[in-house]
Amino acid sequence: MQYLMSVIDDGTGPATPVEDAAIDVFNDRLQTEGYWVFAGGLGGPDAATLIDNRGEQAIVTDGPFLESKEYLAGFWIIEAADLDVALKLATEGSRACNRKVEVRPFL
Amino acid sequence: MVASLARRFGDLDLAEEAAAEAFATAVERWRADGVPPSPGGWLTTTANRKAIDRIRREDKRAGKHQEARLLYDHDPPEPAGAIEDDRLRLIFICCHPALGVDTRVALTLRLVGGLTVPEIARAFLVQEKAMEKRITRAKDKIRTARIPYRVPSAEDLPGRVSGVLAVLFLIFNEGYLATGPGTDPVRHDLTAEAIRLTRLIRALMPDDGEVAGLLALMLLTEARRTARVSAAGELVTLDEQDRGSWDAALIAEGHRLVRERLAAGVAPGRYQILAAISAVHTSARDVRDTDWSQVVALYNQLITLDPSPVIALNRAIAVAELDGPEVALAVIDRLGPRLDGYHAFHAARAGLLRRLGRGQQSRAAYGRAIELAGNTAEIAALTRRRDQLG
Repeated sequence: MQYLMSVIDDGTGPATPVEDAAIDVFNDRLQTEGYWVFAGGLGGPDAATLIDNRGEQAIVTDGPFLESKEYLAGFWIIEAADLDVALKLATEGSRACNRKVEVRPFL
Repeated sequence: MVASLARRFGDLDLAEEAAAEAFATAVERWRADGVPPSPGGWLTTTANRKAIDRIRREDKRAGKHQEARLLYDHDPPEPAGAIEDDRLRLIFICCHPALGVDTRVALTLRLVGGLTVPEIARAFLVQEKAMEKRITRAKDKIRTARIPYRVPSAEDLPGRVSGVLAVLFLIFNEGYLATGPGTDPVRHDLTAEAIRLTRLIRALMPDDGEVAGLLALMLLTEARRTARVSAAGELVTLDEQDRGSWDAALIAEGHRLVRERLAAGVAPGRYQILAAISAVHTSARDVRDTDWSQVVALYNQLITLDPSPVIALNRAIAVAELDGPEVALAVIDRLGPRLDGYHAFHAARAGLLRRLGRGQQSRAAYGRAIELAGNTAEIAALTRRRDQLG
């Protein structure tokens, strides 16, 4: 089963070299042990563009969908047997990237 | 039965509903036809059949595969060990850390304790619909996020057991000092349920020290239940309780457990120390016989494990008996900033101030305590003490 582990930044900004190194080690582990599906860091909210094409005309807005202090900084998609496994990995991931990590199952 | 159904079908919701339907059918049928020779077997077979019917109705796509597995999966009658393992798994899933504490309490009472939703709602002063939603959301989360139905691994077990014990202790405390103007001040149904569930865990994990400690603590506390509320509906504190009305059998069992843990020679955890403190109190025939230096020594041990201000407060109350109210008041006052919102802090201050003859300050402290207290019997007792100051 797949889980999304979202890295939440609360305004601290990009990863430090120490954090980067720890993230690399963590990513290697995920790949070696077969949990890795995909992962990546995201450009900050300033680099975001919002599209709303639900109405007559598409509306393009500069900025993120939600103005907030906390935002999504990156994520991992992992394959894990159950939530216990996912939480163990997320625990390591949170320590490695030094941020809060939200774990959500794919449907 | 819910536990073994959950294991077999991997779905808590389904297990619960199938069990309920089986019981309902049993009530109808047995009234007409009499109780069958093997009621347990009848119920299990019926519940299994009802679960299969449900799966058939609800899941046509993957249904064929699942059905085949279920119909031809002829499990022999469960040996006792396997049933107990199922119940253990059920408790651990209800108390999973991914669920909020309120949710764990509600789920445990519903699925392990078998309380109805209205009963649980009443216990925690929540609307029935809100409690129903809480439980439904929890089951949905268990299914969608795939919270596993199993006993935790050896390395995870200590942390997970402590989570279970915390839930059981919450249930007990709510029964022992119930909050809210509409409820009984002491709710025997909840304390009895908490004890029953803790006994279940103890039977499943007989070597765990904190499980034994929590059971001992509950028994020694429950033993004093009838002495705790006066005929006038006031909470009676330990020093004023009629010790003759304490339950000797529960006290004996509690003491036995405490001695057993002492003999084990393992450093005691929180519940074991709290139980030992209770054991010291319940060993004294009269409050004046209480070995207060033992009590303080135990609190000193406890505070190194749990430096919470509430423990410090309770320790100070014992210190008052050894070193006098002035020393104790000084200790308690230092806790002011952290405990200002806690009624027992103000009640303790009020009592010490009264003993020191500082009537006006005592009165004010009782007033604060009354404002903050949530238990009807406690409010009555505090009100009387304040009024006695004149």
